[in-house]
Amino acid sequence: MVTSACNLVNETKSYGPFRLIDAASRLITILSENQISSPELEKIQAKIEQGKYKVMEDESQFSSFLNDLVLYITSLMENQD
Amino acid sequence: MDIWTAIKNRRSIRKFTADPVEEKKLRDLILKAGIWAPSGGNAQTWRFIAITDQKILSKLKLFSPGLLGTPKAIIIICQDLVYALEKGGELGVKTLSLMDTAMAAQNIMLAAYAVGLGTCPIASFHPEALQKIMGLPVHIYPQLLISVGFPKEHPPAPRRNLDIIWFNYYAKK
Repeated sequence: MVTSACNLVNETKSYGPFRLIDAASRLITILSENQISSPELEKIQAKIEQGKYKVMEDESQFSSFLNDLVLYITSLMENQD
Repeated sequence: MDIWTAIKNRRSIRKFTADPVEEKKLRDLILKAGIWAPSGGNAQTWRFIAITDQKILSKLKLFSPGLLGTPKAIIIICQDLVYALEKGGELGVKTLSLMDTAMAAQNIMLAAYAVGLGTCPIASFHPEALQKIMGLPVHIYPQLLISVGFPKEHPPAPRRNLDIIWFNYYAKK
């Protein structure tokens, strides 16, 4: 994340959101490796991995994917206390 | 495999199997393909570092946000900037070295596809951090990484814009 912050000053604009979403996925992996996991986190990671590379195909599709992901996470939260 | 098949079907691979990549395969990619690319003034100022040690790979990954997936090998394409200055002056250092790295990289990636390996070129990394990790002298400057491994995917080809060619004169269409 630190290197991303450093490099993104001069990189393609859309790589900013991409690095963030990739970092979220890597963080879920790190948590899992430290026995912190949940079905919800696994689902979020699966969604991220399904769609994150849209950034290289179509910017508007990537933007929609991110928006849908936010809404998906809110739907997961609705099912929790 | 004919060259057109390799050109058309090579993809940037970001999901790899757990199968290791033999050093001989990496050596062949570099010495039988990479260095046969053209270089400005035939300077050949490139220097290649092939990494298969998983501990070193893990360290490099920390400073390479563009390195996605878990490749079993990486080729770091460096340029000897002192030699590049000597052979090509400022042009050699600032422009030709980058072009030469890119041409060598494409040779490597096409050859890798031809032998069943997947690759991805990576420009998003911190060169000085990699120099520190690898103990490289300041003038051996990493310009591009290529992740190498056995592919676990074959992504569809991104659309290509064909409306990009003119003959003899550039004219707005």
